[in-house]
Amino acid sequence: MRIWWFRGLVIASLAITGAELSAHHSFAVFDMTQEKIVTGVVSKFEWTNPHTFIFVDVPNDKGAIDSWAIEGMSPNYLGRRGWSKKSVKPGDKITVTVRPLKDGKSGGMFVRALLDGKTMLQTGQPADQQ
Amino acid sequence: MRYATLAATFVLAVSGPPEGGRDIRIVEASAQKAAPKPPTEADWTAIARLPDFTGVWEIGFGAPAGRGGAPAGRGRAGGPPAGPQLTPAYAEKRRANLAKGAEDNPTANCLPPGMPGIMGQPYPMEFLLTPGLVTIVIEAYSQVRHIYTDGRPLPDDPDPRFFGTSVGRWDNGTLVAETVGFSPQTDLDRGTPHSDRMRIVERFRLADPDTMSIETTITDPDALTAPYTTTRTLRRHRTWTLAEYICEENNRNFVDQNGKAGININK
Repeated sequence: MRIWWFRGLVIASLAITGAELSAHHSFAVFDMTQEKIVTGVVSKFEWTNPHTFIFVDVPNDKGAIDSWAIEGMSPNYLGRRGWSKKSVKPGDKITVTVRPLKDGKSGGMFVRALLDGKTMLQTGQPADQQ
Repeated sequence: MRYATLAATFVLAVSGPPEGGRDIRIVEASAQKAAPKPPTEADWTAIARLPDFTGVWEIGFGAPAGRGGAPAGRGRAGGPPAGPQLTPAYAEKRRANLAKGAEDNPTANCLPPGMPGIMGQPYPMEFLLTPGLVTIVIEAYSQVRHIYTDGRPLPDDPDPRFFGTSVGRWDNGTLVAETVGFSPQTDLDRGTPHSDRMRIVERFRLADPDTMSIETTITDPDALTAPYTTTRTLRRHRTWTLAEYICEENNRNFVDQNGKAGININK
């Protein structure tokens, strides 16, 4: 079972928003009023504190490739909610919804992702509460 | 020349005060405190009669989290106003701090928040009960608090620390911890400094076998016109273990001296 379906979207989003705010850093660099969807191929997954990063090669409209950096919660947080260091691998096809960087650079904050068209990754609830 | 000076200083240090230096006070470590008695079998047995705080706990979603309470000015109608009630001087300090418009605080650079903020993190903590001591291992920023329950008094003139200095006592199943002596780098609340007279009392108790309630009351005669009390609810996760949290491992976020937040997204 590699599908983590989402439960209680609004409540979980609010809780995670509040939690992450008090954890390490603010949302100042992200445009929290926007959601952007990027599709590409994973080039690297950093399973590190204080945040995970998924790097995605995304073709742009000029025929070149942009490397997107997508910040997620920590391995500690995600590891208790069904993720592992192997949840995302180089070469995976991925469609990620992000809160984009305000400065227009190719990056954002992870909201959710669809892997290879079949696995939904969410920040989620603790595994022992499902 | 620099080396010569260094060498001279060293010689002075190892050979004691120079001739005529009888009024120089020498500051050095000395064993002034009586060593605590080693714990007995009875001390360990007494631990078993205390509430079972063992294991890993995390603030539950849906419960008051973060720094607790609603934002200032948003209390329930008819109820007491939420948020800390600040003296005019500290209300002005808060206003001035917030007016600077800092986009983030130093935790973005991996500086731990200290008390009371460290107790409101979205990461678990583990409680260890040993004779005369409650140790709280906090996953966020890999921090540790020590609450001495061996009857020692609070220090009269504590060194300022991020966690302050804590003593505690057991009151009918509730751990009552008192903490004084906080670093000026910690905040009483967002944008709100504290004075060196801030005192925090925490009451830890089991609301049910796997639910812990921590009621935190902050007093500060310089900063607050009334005690500021918040309550957090934690859930025990029996299958969890604490993980390491090395904030400097791969911290791409930062805030600069002007309060400008940034992120390094270089691959």
